[in-house]
Amino acid sequence: MTVKETAGPERAEAPDTGAAPRRKGRPSHRLQRYGPAYVMLLPFAVLFLVFLIYPLGRSFYYSLTDFNGIKAPELVGLENFTELLVNDERFHKAIWNTVKYVLGSVVLTIALGLTLAIAFKTTSLRDRVLRTVFFLPSVSAGVGVVLVWKWIFMVDSWGLGNTVVRFFGGSNKAWLAEPSLSIPILVTMAVWGGAGYAMVLFVAGINAIPEELYEQASIDGASKARQFWHITLPLLRPVMVFVVITSTIGAFQIFEPVYLLWNRSASIVGGPLDSALTIVPYLYDMGFNRFQLGYASAIAWVLFLIIFLVTLVQLRVTKTFKEF
Amino acid sequence: MSVKTIVEADQVVRGRRTKRPKRVNVAAELARIPLYLWAVVVLIPFWWMIIAAFKTVPELMKNPPTFFPENPSADSFYDPEYQGPGGDPDPDHVAGVFQRWEDVAGGFFRFALNSFGITVVVTVLSLLIASLAAYMLTKTAAPGRRTAFVVIISSMMIPWQVSLIPNYLLTSDLGMTDSYLGYIIPGLAKAFVVFFLVQYLRSIPDDLVHAARVDGASEWRIWWQIILPLLRPALAAMAIFVALGEWNNFLWPLIIIRSDELMNLPVALSNLNNAIVSSPGQMGVAMAASLLATLPTVVFFFLFQKHFIKGIALSGIKA
Repeated sequence: MTVKETAGPERAEAPDTGAAPRRKGRPSHRLQRYGPAYVMLLPFAVLFLVFLIYPLGRSFYYSLTDFNGIKAPELVGLENFTELLVNDERFHKAIWNTVKYVLGSVVLTIALGLTLAIAFKTTSLRDRVLRTVFFLPSVSAGVGVVLVWKWIFMVDSWGLGNTVVRFFGGSNKAWLAEPSLSIPILVTMAVWGGAGYAMVLFVAGINAIPEELYEQASIDGASKARQFWHITLPLLRPVMVFVVITSTIGAFQIFEPVYLLWNRSASIVGGPLDSALTIVPYLYDMGFNRFQLGYASAIAWVLFLIIFLVTLVQLRVTKTFKEF
Repeated sequence: MSVKTIVEADQVVRGRRTKRPKRVNVAAELARIPLYLWAVVVLIPFWWMIIAAFKTVPELMKNPPTFFPENPSADSFYDPEYQGPGGDPDPDHVAGVFQRWEDVAGGFFRFALNSFGITVVVTVLSLLIASLAAYMLTKTAAPGRRTAFVVIISSMMIPWQVSLIPNYLLTSDLGMTDSYLGYIIPGLAKAFVVFFLVQYLRSIPDDLVHAARVDGASEWRIWWQIILPLLRPALAAMAIFVALGEWNNFLWPLIIIRSDELMNLPVALSNLNNAIVSSPGQMGVAMAASLLATLPTVVFFFLFQKHFIKGIALSGIKA
């Protein structure tokens, strides 16, 4: 998405940014002229190449090998990938869980974030206070908050979750031991933590829409609902695309809640019957509990491919909507 | 991102001033009721954490639970009646947050200091090198800068976990595992910061830079005296993102740090989490530690609320 944008109007002005007339000098002259510029890029470039690009290549190489971190990697071709995609039922479970989690958390986060933005978009004191409240969980994301949720979902009858359930006439639940509750718990945490963030983006988007459009539509007799469908939503499209894509990418990488909520011991990842096992915790388990580094690298590349494809599809879909 | 959007962003962020006289719309107010309830739901986990941190062990396990501590105590932070690991095991008195990790000088304070120091160092260094790169990429004509920019922003699509294992091995090859260096250096090149700063710099006219060059200022001086001051709003926004991310950084230190002295707060909390799995009576201590780890981010947010919201809004608008 970003590549295309930079090739847009800004590129046309680019030649003006020249430090000096664009004459082809001898390489030594060019180096003299632009030497300081390259030195300025150097710190970032070195770190970027050493800790991002080089590991990328190395990770791809490992994904084609059998490697336990001690013996030298042994090339096995695409065996890791065929094992992952064809035979490894634990991985299939991890993918399926991740997809359920991504769908649930992204859809609900965006629906709630948009609702909150529409309801509380003005500068009134009430709206500002409420926006701060809704945003607070996004600020405090982290391990501490996951522990709070763990405390809320205690199996014991004094847990807050069970107290609430009993208040509404239900009976105590073994929240974290119940496979069918794993993904809903993760989704709840994600919506709690992410809706306020989406709201802030939507408020900015909504308030950037010119008021005159709504005034004109009202004069023409368009109902509030029609104004929402035909003005607000189409003009929010860029913000929507941004929120959908960034939150989807983020959701695919979920790790901390899974790792912390269900650890009976440090080396067991994934919750009851692997019902909470998602892709990154599985990668961690394979790489850092079982030291199957080649296999774990293959998992990382599958994650990359999934995210890449999903992003492409989302961009294509939103483009189709634009053309309508 | 055009100049206009930056100018507008401020007003966008603060919300639209309502010009029309207010009519109370009963239906709209009724429809908001579930959202008010959601506001309460959002706050409950915070409340639950705070009161748990100030409950005594017997009260933590009271059924039904209390929503206000009956006799608030700071035992979860420091319990004077705790006998120590050699003393009488007393289920009602457990080691408080500041009575744990006795083999680490400073205990919990040390982890807070680690988190704070690392957050500051990473934020300052990553913004400095990113601003240098952004200046080079937008305001000079050095050949190859466009290719470099495309490579940098393309890398933003790659989930960072892809480089996790090689980076772990590379760090250990360099002898930097279990050290601050191994913790800090691999994460310093942040492509999204460069991207954001480049977008921002593009909206700043080149005339200033040209004029300075004509006056004979060196590139370094232009960067330090012209570009950095101009970039201040963008740097503030990015500083918040980077600092918050670093404060909560978990997976990388979890892998790279072995000795207790070097743990940051998230790893220390996870450590605590492992220790208390079997004993819910220790949950008060976990909540006290979580409170101590979360409080600084909330205070930070209230101090810089405007920058926070503006930064997020800008990141969405430029997309």
